[in-house]
Amino acid sequence: MGDDNVGDANLQWLILILLYVVVCGGTMVGDDGCGNGLGSERDIKIMEKSCTLLVYFDKGTPALANEIKEALEGNDVPAKVEAMKKAVMLLLNGETIPQLFITIVRYVLPSEDHTIQKLLLLYLEIIDKTDSQGRILPEMILICQNLRNNLQHPNEYIRGVTLRFLCRLNETEIIEPLIPSVLTNLEHRHPFVRRNAILAVTAIYKLPQGEQLMADAPETIEKVLSTEQDPSAKRNAFLMLFTCAQERAVSYLFTHIEKILDWSEQLQMVVLELIRKVCRTNKHEKGKYIKIIISLLTAPSTAVIYECAGTLVSLSSAPTAIRAAADTYCKLLLSQSDNNVKLIVLDRLLELKTSHKEIMVEMIMDILRALSSPNLDIRRKTLDIALELITPRNVDEVVLLLKKEVVKTQNADLEKNGEYRQMLVQAIHTCAMKFPEVASTVVHVLMDFLGDTNVASAMDVVVFVREIIETNPKLRVSIITRLLDTFYQIRAARVCSCALWIIGEYCLSLSEVESGIVTIKQCLGELPFYTPTEEGEGQEAPKSDQLASAITVSSRRPVVLADGTYATQSAALETAMSPPALVQGSLSTQGNLRSLLLSGDFFLGAVVACTLTKLVLRSEEVQPSKVEVNKAKTQALLYIVSMIQLGQSPVLPHPIDNDAYDRMVVCIRLLCNTGDVTRKIWLESCKESFVNMLADKQFRETEERKAKAQISHSQPDDLIDFYHLKSRKGMSQLELEDEVQDDLKRATGEFTKDNDDVNKLNRILQLTGFSDPVYAEAYVTVHHYDIVLDVTVINRTKQTLQNLCLELATMGDLKLVERPQNYTLAPESSKQIRANIKVSSTETGVIFGNIVYETSSVLERNVVVLNDIHIDIMDYISPATCADVAFRTMWAEFEWENKVAVNTVIQDEKEFLDHIIKSTNMKCLTAPSALEGECGFLAANLYAKSVFGEDALVNVSVEKQSDGKLSGYIRIRSKTQGIALSLGDKITLKQKGAA
Amino acid sequence: VLLAAAIISKSGKALVSRQFVNMSRVRIEGLLAAFPKLIGMGKQHTYVETDDVRYVYRPIEILYLVLVTSKQSNILEDLETLRMLSKLVPEYALSLDEEGICKKAFELIFAFDEVVSLGHREDVTVMQVKQYCEMESQEEKMHKQMLQSKINETKDVEKNKGEKGGLLSLQSLGSGGFERALNNLNLSSSNSVTTATSKGLGMQLSKNQRTNQFLQSLKAEGEEIIEHVQPSSTRSSAAAPPVSDPVTLTVEEKLNVTLNKDGGLAKFDVQGTLSLQILEEKDAYLHVQVDSRKNPSILFKTHPNINKELFSNENILGLKDPNRPFPTGQSGDGVGLLKWRMQSMDESAVPLTISCWPNVAGNVTDVSIEYEASSMYDLQNVIISVPLGSLRNAPNVERIDGEWSGTVEFSVPATDPSTFFPISVQFTAKNTFSGLKVVNIIPLKGGSPPRFVQRSTLCAEKYTVV
Repeated sequence: MGDDNVGDANLQWLILILLYVVVCGGTMVGDDGCGNGLGSERDIKIMEKSCTLLVYFDKGTPALANEIKEALEGNDVPAKVEAMKKAVMLLLNGETIPQLFITIVRYVLPSEDHTIQKLLLLYLEIIDKTDSQGRILPEMILICQNLRNNLQHPNEYIRGVTLRFLCRLNETEIIEPLIPSVLTNLEHRHPFVRRNAILAVTAIYKLPQGEQLMADAPETIEKVLSTEQDPSAKRNAFLMLFTCAQERAVSYLFTHIEKILDWSEQLQMVVLELIRKVCRTNKHEKGKYIKIIISLLTAPSTAVIYECAGTLVSLSSAPTAIRAAADTYCKLLLSQSDNNVKLIVLDRLLELKTSHKEIMVEMIMDILRALSSPNLDIRRKTLDIALELITPRNVDEVVLLLKKEVVKTQNADLEKNGEYRQMLVQAIHTCAMKFPEVASTVVHVLMDFLGDTNVASAMDVVVFVREIIETNPKLRVSIITRLLDTFYQIRAARVCSCALWIIGEYCLSLSEVESGIVTIKQCLGELPFYTPTEEGEGQEAPKSDQLASAITVSSRRPVVLADGTYATQSAALETAMSPPALVQGSLSTQGNLRSLLLSGDFFLGAVVACTLTKLVLRSEEVQPSKVEVNKAKTQALLYIVSMIQLGQSPVLPHPIDNDAYDRMVVCIRLLCNTGDVTRKIWLESCKESFVNMLADKQFRETEERKAKAQISHSQPDDLIDFYHLKSRKGMSQLELEDEVQDDLKRATGEFTKDNDDVNKLNRILQLTGFSDPVYAEAYVTVHHYDIVLDVTVINRTKQTLQNLCLELATMGDLKLVERPQNYTLAPESSKQIRANIKVSSTETGVIFGNIVYETSSVLERNVVVLNDIHIDIMDYISPATCADVAFRTMWAEFEWENKVAVNTVIQDEKEFLDHIIKSTNMKCLTAPSALEGECGFLAANLYAKSVFGEDALVNVSVEKQSDGKLSGYIRIRSKTQGIALSLGDKITLKQKGAA
Repeated sequence: VLLAAAIISKSGKALVSRQFVNMSRVRIEGLLAAFPKLIGMGKQHTYVETDDVRYVYRPIEILYLVLVTSKQSNILEDLETLRMLSKLVPEYALSLDEEGICKKAFELIFAFDEVVSLGHREDVTVMQVKQYCEMESQEEKMHKQMLQSKINETKDVEKNKGEKGGLLSLQSLGSGGFERALNNLNLSSSNSVTTATSKGLGMQLSKNQRTNQFLQSLKAEGEEIIEHVQPSSTRSSAAAPPVSDPVTLTVEEKLNVTLNKDGGLAKFDVQGTLSLQILEEKDAYLHVQVDSRKNPSILFKTHPNINKELFSNENILGLKDPNRPFPTGQSGDGVGLLKWRMQSMDESAVPLTISCWPNVAGNVTDVSIEYEASSMYDLQNVIISVPLGSLRNAPNVERIDGEWSGTVEFSVPATDPSTFFPISVQFTAKNTFSGLKVVNIIPLKGGSPPRFVQRSTLCAEKYTVV
């Protein structure tokens, strides 16, 4: 053995020296021979060549080829390692240093250092091993010997990593002489070597000529598999059979079927993969495999179980199979603590829900157990799934559980409880809308939350109550009683006004009306609201106390609020410490309405006034005693007048607004002098509009659902997608396509959507004039994260153009991927040059460029300036939806606003909005019904998302002027300046319309 | 499938990325550049999905460790990979910032390679990865030593040659001896975990009822299920034949024995049960009279529903409430009436003794195993399983004989003697330790006693030599 080595080394040197001569000679010849025509093809190859590693390259410390060379030639191992690293980095960065190869062959190849050998393999992995025509470079033969030595190296790890390197090698010429060594390594005593040897065999056999290279590879591997004990090597061997000789893998599986549970997790995964693949080709065979899957469902590894469930679903749509899969997912959902797993499992359940709803209905309670997770995303997803699975049969159970959850949120003081409660309330609301009979059981529980400190959740409750009281007339009495009982707890103004409206509309009987009035009076407290200061001196003892508190209050101003702004109305926040002249209610617990009013909320005051008016008007109808009615009327008037007085008094920082004032005055007028028409309006029309609103909402929901259902059906004249005819660029014809592979191809970007050729031609841009010496035009393809320019360059002269170079520069968030190359262009010939530009955010980018060339007659360089290429933002954003609340929060958060004044020839608001939507590729979030009608103005929110996940918000507010023109503003907000600016430019450009 | 593993700075600078499937540079750079923009703030989960791919990530101080996977990829696997990689990063990076990562980028790539091969996760530990990356090879050292000593020898020989004028061919020192030395040296590193025994688990599970129901209902729903015919199983059917007699009494004893390889008894434990199975309710009002005197050292325990006094006084088993019938039915193993347990340190009680003599001689290990059954027991279906370590070829069996006692001799390539343990044994026998016998059945409602059968089995549940 040792002697062989000596001999080999001699031989190697001989070859090396011989080849060195050949190579040096070759490059010299190549300089003028290689220039014509084929460069572009090579360019394309570089583009599509696979990339195996990326290392960040700091351009600040450029490595010089000379330094590297010197270090490589030296004997200092650490320096050599560093130099190798630099060489690899340079290579990754696109700097091919051809002369370095020979240095490496001479000085690095013989090195015994392991790290150097490993780095060498990385270097060989990424270096171009073929010439422009795909032929192997002659000097590559030099590395063969080294690889062979490595494969016979006494160090098992060197063998292993070399075998692994072979997996990434595509060049048959290099591999062929190594095959015997690879095969001997299958027998190596160290499992690390065997593992990688099997992988290498797999990779070699998979090459286009693989079957000729290793005709009996499947057989060999099958033999290896039968004796192999190392779990990883065993997995690799089975994987090899699976990909290259499926029937052998199947027969192995069936001969060892009873041991399948003892196999390693990795092997079990491959078995499942095999089953999926086999069953996809031969559907009738799946019977054999279902049992295996079922037994694997009891495997200890959760990953295997998860895979099993997925396989089961893909194999069978029988209810039992689906049920078993769903059951497995539910178990994983509970047993796994990782939020990622939970969310993804929920996604799987969501998929099952859309395809097998009737089975999933049975699982609803299991799914709902995921609510035990404290994570809001998980809870939301769980509720979303569950809500669509509710049937009359399970609704009671579900609501019971939701109720329990709601009650639980009261006990624990978690910060997200409010939000969760809101989610639950909404879920219950949906249930109650679908199945009105459950409303009675939940409405009372929910009403406890009217006083919730989380305004959003309290608001949801009150809206829910409002809807239920209308749709379930039977519950009216109990709801009203309860509402009057709990009214004093309500703290938020918005919730108060809604609750007041309910009281005003639904207190029908005498006792209800009376207690309604009493409740409101209690909450307003005793009159007056304030004591004029003139009367002041020495009137009451507590006043000095109040003065004291006044000092503290004033000293506390200004208050900085949580969002960083100064509070201008600190009284609004701290009602407990109100200004001196205000009289707090004598009740021990201050009325909620009073404190809100004293904080200056006169809108609420107007609502109180209206409610009192309605109640009094109704009491006129139900109260037999005229005296009582009049008494109530006067009291109501007194309250309303007091409120107006308070509003006009100087004690509050802000006087009453005109709108609230007007409404209160209307109430006073009405109470003094009632007409039948107005009475009808007040007592009946209000409710009618509400009923109409509910009906409209329901109608819209059903319409939406119908529209959704319609989308999923294909049209009779739709194209049918034959999966055998799918675009399979670069895939071998025999290769099977299935979901997993499609998925993989999509992920690696091999799937490109085929645009029709007509569109392709539309995108051609002319870059130079027809009379320029060089004509150039470009076809621009915009992928997600990159732009490809296919530039055709034509030499229009009768001279050979030398060192022709397409120089590009970019503006915006664009980056050139590789440096331009020089070409030589024969007279009147043409050339395709491809340039790649990386895009890293949504922004309108501009690409500038020159074509530079030399001619033989004139030595100076000629420059042709190209037209600018504009990259359209529209290619990057797509319409999206988001909840109203989310839109508002984003609107408040985002820093960049671009305000564009409306300037258009379009006369109709609606038409203008449609025009903007169409030209910006956004989605209108405002409901169509809100945009209906001819009122002369319009406000709508538009939303879109970029491929980079950035949000683009647009608000359109336009008003029709008296001269028929539209005026107003379009505001664009986004987190990044790029979107705000680019979208603004786009709108400015397009808004004119009708052009 | 795992597409790539990468370390990215918060600003989206890809510091290191290793791809495990073929993908273009533009694609991977694009995917990695898009990543930081996709992760939202304040999320409690660490994955993002786009239309095409899924990112699973983990923040490491100011960096992200990201896996790019296809959307169908198994999340549990990927999280495991991520966990592994996140343990490796601090091992190899100088510091957990951009500079520290960049400096050790290549080492990280080497480590990543050990965890993922062609998109599939390898089951490795941090220690193993470190070992693989260090590449310290015992064999290489040996090789170098051999080379060195050969050079020295050659020098010596040349010296001698010069002195004696003799002629010694360099070739004659050939590499044969060295190869063998290598073989011997590496035995310790060879895999000794596996055994040649088949446990007969796996598909056996399909016997259980739940699975059967499952298959039945699948069939009913139109799924075709093919009962796979198992390739000839070595297991003899120890399962009892179906019950056909009106009353069946089963005595079952399970043996749990551990013998030391150097002789001596480490554990001896017998657990027995008597169970009663009655097919029809008309036969279910009865008393069972047993004879339990054969082995006085055993204490019997009755089922709580059994009249204890009656048993201790008259050796009759009957329910406390004589008006109640025993449970009846075909399914299950019947009702347990008695339980007993016996422990002993008496070596003579052992039904089968085994001694194993491995003997390493050169590159061959000869193993002789002696076994001797106690004459008290008629053992059936005896299987003695000896683990052989990782063997490429079947062992060479030289001799095998024996009726009550006998020996097996076989030879395997040189192996560490401890490899052959634990030896496990399976057998069944008709005699039991308790010798419990059912004497009679007394029907309580008059009439002739129903026909009954008694079955007795002793089986080795766990019988090992360690």
